[in-house]
Amino acid sequence: MRSRSIIGIAPLLAPVHVLILSVIVLPSLYVVWLSLNESSFGQAPTFVGLQNYIDVITDPAFRSALWNTVLLVVVAVHIELALGLGMALLFAGGLPFRRFLLVAVLAPYAVSEVIAVVMWRFLFDPDVGPVTLMLQSMGLPILDWSFEPSHAMILIALLTIWLHLPFTFIILYAARLAIPSDLYEAARIDGATAWQAFKRVTLPLLGPAIVVALLFRYIFAFRLFSEVWLLTQGGPARSTEVVAVYLYQEAFSYNAFGTAAATAWIMVLASLLLGAGYVFILRRQVSANANA
Amino acid sequence: MRTRNLLAAIGKTVAVAAMLFWSLFPIAFIVMSSLKPGQDIFAVPPRYVFEPTFEHYVSLWQQWGAFFDGLLNSTIITAGATVIAIAGSTFAGYVYSRNSSRMLDASVLFLIVVRLIPPIVVTLPLFPIVNVLGLNDTHAIMMVLYATFFVSLGTVLMRTFIDQIPRELDEAAEIDGAGRLTVLRRVIVPLAAPGILAVAVFVVVFAWNEYLFAFIFTSTRAKTAPLVISEMIGSIDGVDWGILFAASTVQLAPVLLFVVFMNRYLVAGLTAGATKG
Repeated sequence: MRSRSIIGIAPLLAPVHVLILSVIVLPSLYVVWLSLNESSFGQAPTFVGLQNYIDVITDPAFRSALWNTVLLVVVAVHIELALGLGMALLFAGGLPFRRFLLVAVLAPYAVSEVIAVVMWRFLFDPDVGPVTLMLQSMGLPILDWSFEPSHAMILIALLTIWLHLPFTFIILYAARLAIPSDLYEAARIDGATAWQAFKRVTLPLLGPAIVVALLFRYIFAFRLFSEVWLLTQGGPARSTEVVAVYLYQEAFSYNAFGTAAATAWIMVLASLLLGAGYVFILRRQVSANANA
Repeated sequence: MRTRNLLAAIGKTVAVAAMLFWSLFPIAFIVMSSLKPGQDIFAVPPRYVFEPTFEHYVSLWQQWGAFFDGLLNSTIITAGATVIAIAGSTFAGYVYSRNSSRMLDASVLFLIVVRLIPPIVVTLPLFPIVNVLGLNDTHAIMMVLYATFFVSLGTVLMRTFIDQIPRELDEAAEIDGAGRLTVLRRVIVPLAAPGILAVAVFVVVFAWNEYLFAFIFTSTRAKTAPLVISEMIGSIDGVDWGILFAASTVQLAPVLLFVVFMNRYLVAGLTAGATKG
């Protein structure tokens, strides 16, 4: 059985691993080599050690892109978490037409980044956007996102939250449903208020799911490209650039492959670091399940 | 007590209304605006009652032939990517579910780690390589790219779903003389269908909507619908919002309906994907 199995399973494993090796792993390793060289179109690469990394880290444009990315990730992902948690609890508390509401809340998941940009651009159009008009009629300030970088960032954050809230919500809702109802029964018999039950039962038991949702969203939000590119192209004057847009500009606008590659590896390392946290939690959960 | 219950009920109703408005208003607004007569799109205040017209769809058809080519390309690429991803994930998921060794466990961890690499990273080396191979702007390369970025998640998902199928079933089939492929086809695939559908939802939504790879790797022959729409946003002679809304509605409608009908599998896939790797 054993000797036969390797030969038997190799062809079944091959497609997945060939694809991943040739499209993701080997190119990523090649990016390491690229990042240690200076190169451009039609120019032989010369080895420069870590110079590209130093250039990138000391580039004010990169720093501003990194700052924008971190700001967006932290703000958008935590608002998503708060909203997602609120919605999960609302659903868990029992709602009429639950299935319909669930599908409605999932709908943004189906929307492409491009279409989302079309929607939100029009909703917040400074002249004719319905949301702009509504804000004006209430005497509130509007988002002048095509001129004001901070306003553009708010719009990008809104768009990101809108697109990804279904994911955060589903993770938290599934985790909430997995909490046995007798725990709430017990809390009620002990005279716990709703707030106490939330603090002592819901929150601790949702802990791992919250961390998983957060880490996942940190990792994916860190790659943010399309929303920013389609809304502002990083402008005006590179003020709304995020790391992925910076990378794209270095590679495809300035043909500076060395610094683009260094940026790419900075992105990979940041993601791996966040991912290490995720794998750690996953492992602990697996061993906890095994012991239970 | 009664007033408290009433307040709670009102609070809940407001919360549900806000949730619905937030999720559906932007979508409804696009679809509705695509049917508004030209001048009504910019009416102040926005008009919610109007005589629906298909004029923007007609203009879209007349002026943006590229969009319909884009839809066709998107359909071909999405179908191809989905088939590749499902086949690969099912084969590998089956192996991971039914076998275990130190090597295999390590390679599952490897699949999880691969998901952490941002797609934009690989565009850098792949762009010249794809050019040299003459695969630039082809359906094939887009299928491969889209499938590859989901086979790792797909494999882990399929393993989770196949784990729920009792091993006794494959063993019984093997005793009856069935080979691995027959077991896969007759036992695993039918029983793991929910998993296959979950993988399908992920890949279809991703491949149909994706922008970055399409932007970098396609230009004319394999240009996808989202890319054509992005060109409409950036067109020099100003945005024709009516046509843009019509195109957005056409691109969005099929994938939205798909997600609505497959919502069970999407939910199952999302939760299994996040908690099992």
